[in-house]
Amino acid sequence: MDVILVMLAGVLIGAKWFPERFKKQNETLQVVCTALLIFSMGVMLGQRENFLQELTVIGWQSLLFALVPAALSGVVVFLMTRRWKQDEEKKEEN
Amino acid sequence: MVWIAVAALLGGILYGLSGLQLAPVSLLTQNSQLVLYALMFLVGISVGLNKDVLRRIRSYQLRVLVIPAGVVAGSLAGGLVCSLITGLPVNQGTAIASGLGWYSLSGVMLTEMAGAHLGSITFLSNLLREILSFFSIPWVSRHLNFYTCIAPAGATSEDTTLPMMIRYTNEETVVLSVFNGVLCSALVPFLIRACYRFL
Repeated sequence: MDVILVMLAGVLIGAKWFPERFKKQNETLQVVCTALLIFSMGVMLGQRENFLQELTVIGWQSLLFALVPAALSGVVVFLMTRRWKQDEEKKEEN
Repeated sequence: MVWIAVAALLGGILYGLSGLQLAPVSLLTQNSQLVLYALMFLVGISVGLNKDVLRRIRSYQLRVLVIPAGVVAGSLAGGLVCSLITGLPVNQGTAIASGLGWYSLSGVMLTEMAGAHLGSITFLSNLLREILSFFSIPWVSRHLNFYTCIAPAGATSEDTTLPMMIRYTNEETVVLSVFNGVLCSALVPFLIRACYRFL
């Protein structure tokens, strides 16, 4: 919840007061923060005992958790949107 | 961005394996939650700055919610299927898939909620999802439809995968892609907590 509140504070500041000219710097800072977070996560991983042995298990599970949700998302969105183009063409004809 | 993420992850792992204990790195790892707050604040500013997109999206009415709903439903179903295959509890499987490709946030959240093992699976799987969606967009746009390109990208459809959307789809899809990314990004923290605690 606290994460969302912090984000909402950012949205408010971005919409009301944040100068447009600092947009690029804001994006650069996001990259820096992301890299720092990922680096600290890597440190925590590397400091784990038996990390290298665990990696073989993590690897195939991670691949599975990437492929299946992405593929099923694609299937669901395709089924929900495949008529959109036809609907728009019908609207234009009428 | 993907290469920066890979370099940061490998650098961190090598540092951790080396056994070094440098004070600035220890300070960083002990206060990673503060860095996460800073990141969320900056992402919020980006969303707030994007006034034109918010205005244009209003004209699409309820249709704008169809794609994010499909992304979330498909991802959760995928998490469920994966948990059955891997033997992980359903709450963990769906929580991993709830990252919707946002590897930094989901990885950190699940590391804090469930430990480094689940956090690392979450991080890697969502990073792989981003890479996979990046390279699948050209194929999906040619063989399925433009809207479906947004699905595998999930929460990343507003930033890292957007250049591919611009290149391989049309303006309408790009606007819907940004909206989908904003909505999915906002949903990720809720979905992870909800799946992990209540499923």
